[in-house]
Amino acid sequence: MEEPYKVKASKGQSSLEYLLVIALTFALIVPTTYLFYNYSKESSQEITDAQITKVGRGIVDTAALIFYSGQGSKTVLELIIPDNIVSAEIIDGRELVFNMTTSFGVSEIVFFSSVNMTTATSNCNANVCNLPDLASKGVKKVKIEAINKDSSSITTI
Amino acid sequence: MGKNGQAALEYLTTYGWAFITISVTIGALYYFGVLDFSKYLPQNCIFPSQLRCLDFSLRVPNVNVKLINNLGEDIKVTSMQITNDATPPISCTPPAVPFDWVHAVEKDFIFASCSGGAYLSDSRVELKISITYYAINTPSNPVHLINGKINGRAI
Repeated sequence: MEEPYKVKASKGQSSLEYLLVIALTFALIVPTTYLFYNYSKESSQEITDAQITKVGRGIVDTAALIFYSGQGSKTVLELIIPDNIVSAEIIDGRELVFNMTTSFGVSEIVFFSSVNMTTATSNCNANVCNLPDLASKGVKKVKIEAINKDSSSITTI
Repeated sequence: MGKNGQAALEYLTTYGWAFITISVTIGALYYFGVLDFSKYLPQNCIFPSQLRCLDFSLRVPNVNVKLINNLGEDIKVTSMQITNDATPPISCTPPAVPFDWVHAVEKDFIFASCSGGAYLSDSRVELKISITYYAINTPSNPVHLINGKINGRAI
């Protein structure tokens, strides 16, 4: 008659041990996941910022290099556009502006060129020229050409 | 059916106390901030690299932040605002604008006499700073916006 009670007590102990192990695991995993998630979120913003800075500086520096190489000079850059870029435009021929979304709002990342930049006239309205192909993530081929004695053209191919 | 009901009742009376005790304990831990894991996160100040954040301090009732103009251009700052997600949000006296900011120069900004926004000593806060500016040498003076974030413990 004692046997069934022994079996029941043993099962109860194993259940309790199981629950304790699971509880301890959760107590470790939940805060660790939270901390690492926050770290990675901030790191990804810094990575996006670094990537778009490399893209912007690359375009502006190459536009100046090609311009001073003389009319007809051209080159093609392969650039990696990061996620979170919602628009790209040239303002007044000297500001290359990327709109970047972050967890704390949209920021405009601006690069200033020493030479006049332009793009296809169909994308230009007054002093603002849109670069729609640079507003989506992925690898982009950007052709930079000294189209005349006044400016370098920036187009995606 | 009667035996099943009795077993269920016995189960609840045996373990119900355990559930209540655990719930109250977790509630107390949450209330006293033990489960607020955000306090274990490092304090930081994140701005785009063009107006990099060099340093900050959260001394109630002021917020101090040091930024550097990495744009490579002289700019004129037209507005500076600070806010957060609390209700009501933090409200401070921003630095006087407009002002010129030469490139590669560091500047200290003080948001003074802050109120609201749960900005209290020894509390963890996340503040959003918005800055608008335009480049002095660009003919049409297009205004640009930069957002940054300060996450830290007020003292």
